[in-house]
Amino acid sequence: MKEIKYVIKDEVGIHARPAGLFVKAAGKFNCMIKMKKDTADVDAKSILGIMSLGVKKGDEITITFDGSDEAEASDTITAFLVENL
Amino acid sequence: MGFMEKLGLNNREKELIIGSPMKGEVCPLTEVNDPVFGEKILGDGLAIKPLAGRLVAPVNGTVGMLFDTKHAISLISEQGTEILIHVGLDTVNLKGKFYKSFVKTGDKIKEGDLLLEFDMEQIKAAGYDVITPVIICNTAAYSEINPITGKRVEELEKILIIKK
Repeated sequence: MKEIKYVIKDEVGIHARPAGLFVKAAGKFNCMIKMKKDTADVDAKSILGIMSLGVKKGDEITITFDGSDEAEASDTITAFLVENL
Repeated sequence: MGFMEKLGLNNREKELIIGSPMKGEVCPLTEVNDPVFGEKILGDGLAIKPLAGRLVAPVNGTVGMLFDTKHAISLISEQGTEILIHVGLDTVNLKGKFYKSFVKTGDKIKEGDLLLEFDMEQIKAAGYDVITPVIICNTAAYSEINPITGKRVEELEKILIIKK
């Protein structure tokens, strides 16, 4: 299991476009990926799931990876967050 | 969802018909000038060029998420279909201006309930395309998503047939 934390810098947070791109990136991996904000956690491979967190600028999200390709997934998602959010 | 529905015992139960959430012209997603929709990154579906500034519930279900900016809403039908309706392109940047909502996240909705009103002319004048993608976000749960495009529809007129 791997875990990363990230504070959102994008002005509009995780709306439809970043949610779609995030899920596309996350969907390439076999490991279970979850996104958590405060106490709510969701399947990070579900577009509506991650949009339902209502993540905004300044919010901290925690993403966990659990499975055989967790290290690679964690690296890819970290790069995605830095580039897009 | 009940046990019998999960089994999908016959074709009638497997097929879902979704009506239009607005009056407008129905076109394929590939006509949407935004790769997130045009390349179906959010899922398969269609787009509507609105002819009136009203959005109604196309299904019975629940409001999954209404964005603070009111430009997009996700719905979860009683059958578990995840529908995202995004009113206009890049309209997140309007921060709610020109949009008025009549529901909130978590509300139960019935087919035909008013969800949003929006001022098409003001949105266009601000430089945005009002084309409205209607996306099935859990596309992978279905074997077929068949949009009925190329026609002008009234609210709740059939626009999409999906099969499990």
